[in-house]
Amino acid sequence: MTWKTFFDFSTMAHRHLVFVYVGVWTLQGGYLAWTAYNWRKIRSPRA
Amino acid sequence: MARSSVLRSTAWLWFLATVAVLVVGFRQAIFLVPMEETMGNLQRIFYYHLPHAVLGLIFPYVNLVASLGFLYWRRRDPLKALTADALAVASAEVTVLYVGICLGTGMLWGKPAWGIWWAWDARLTTALILWLIYVSYLLLRRFSPAGQIGVLAAVLAVFAAIDVPIVYMSIQWWRTQHPAPVFGPNGGGIDPRFLPAVFWNLAGWAMWGIFLIAFRFALERRRQIAEQDAALQALEASLETPQ
Repeated sequence: MTWKTFFDFSTMAHRHLVFVYVGVWTLQGGYLAWTAYNWRKIRSPRA
Repeated sequence: MARSSVLRSTAWLWFLATVAVLVVGFRQAIFLVPMEETMGNLQRIFYYHLPHAVLGLIFPYVNLVASLGFLYWRRRDPLKALTADALAVASAEVTVLYVGICLGTGMLWGKPAWGIWWAWDARLTTALILWLIYVSYLLLRRFSPAGQIGVLAAVLAVFAAIDVPIVYMSIQWWRTQHPAPVFGPNGGGIDPRFLPAVFWNLAGWAMWGIFLIAFRFALERRRQIAEQDAALQALEASLETPQ
């Protein structure tokens, strides 16, 4: 498989393959970003 | 100060190693392993579905151990109990994330493969119940009265953990729409050419999950300490006598 065939949206199977890989990275990255945002928001009071 | 600096460096190193392993896993899954003959490229969804499914059944046990620790220490050592509670909430959130992704990727595979998004078979239903239990665990923590949150959540966590072996055994106990197990003593096996993609992604998403739990745990501890300091300051202010 190549990048070109990976982003081939001609069939449902190909579309769903891209949705899975992009979706997983988005969700995992989103949760990490939310945690990092709150980490910065709540300053350590004893630091 | 030195300890915090070491922890920060370790976290960054772990994160960078995790991203590197995930990039190798992605390359293996999409570009290197051969296409499966029956399902074609759709089968490549399996390399992300499987790690989330496996880890979604392991992280609930972190939550269980932390919850039991909370129940044990809550009267004996409240500070240890707070630490256990922070680990419990961190592992519960990551469990919701992993089981949710497992369900979502399974549905995205099921529609082109089976022609349906969902089937009420034993594996899918028990996995959905597991996800709903942990969502309700987080809602309980969010909306229950302060002071009782830890105990109520810990008791629910014990019941939630009971569903985990049921999810795991469901494809052995009942003949279901879900494919039969691949690994294990009764597993159907897998072509050895696909194994690098399986193991790199399993390792990568396990390292990622551990990183998320550790980071969320640190955040929860920071929130607890900030809450304690605010309460202490309020107490000190109330004790000050007006001149």
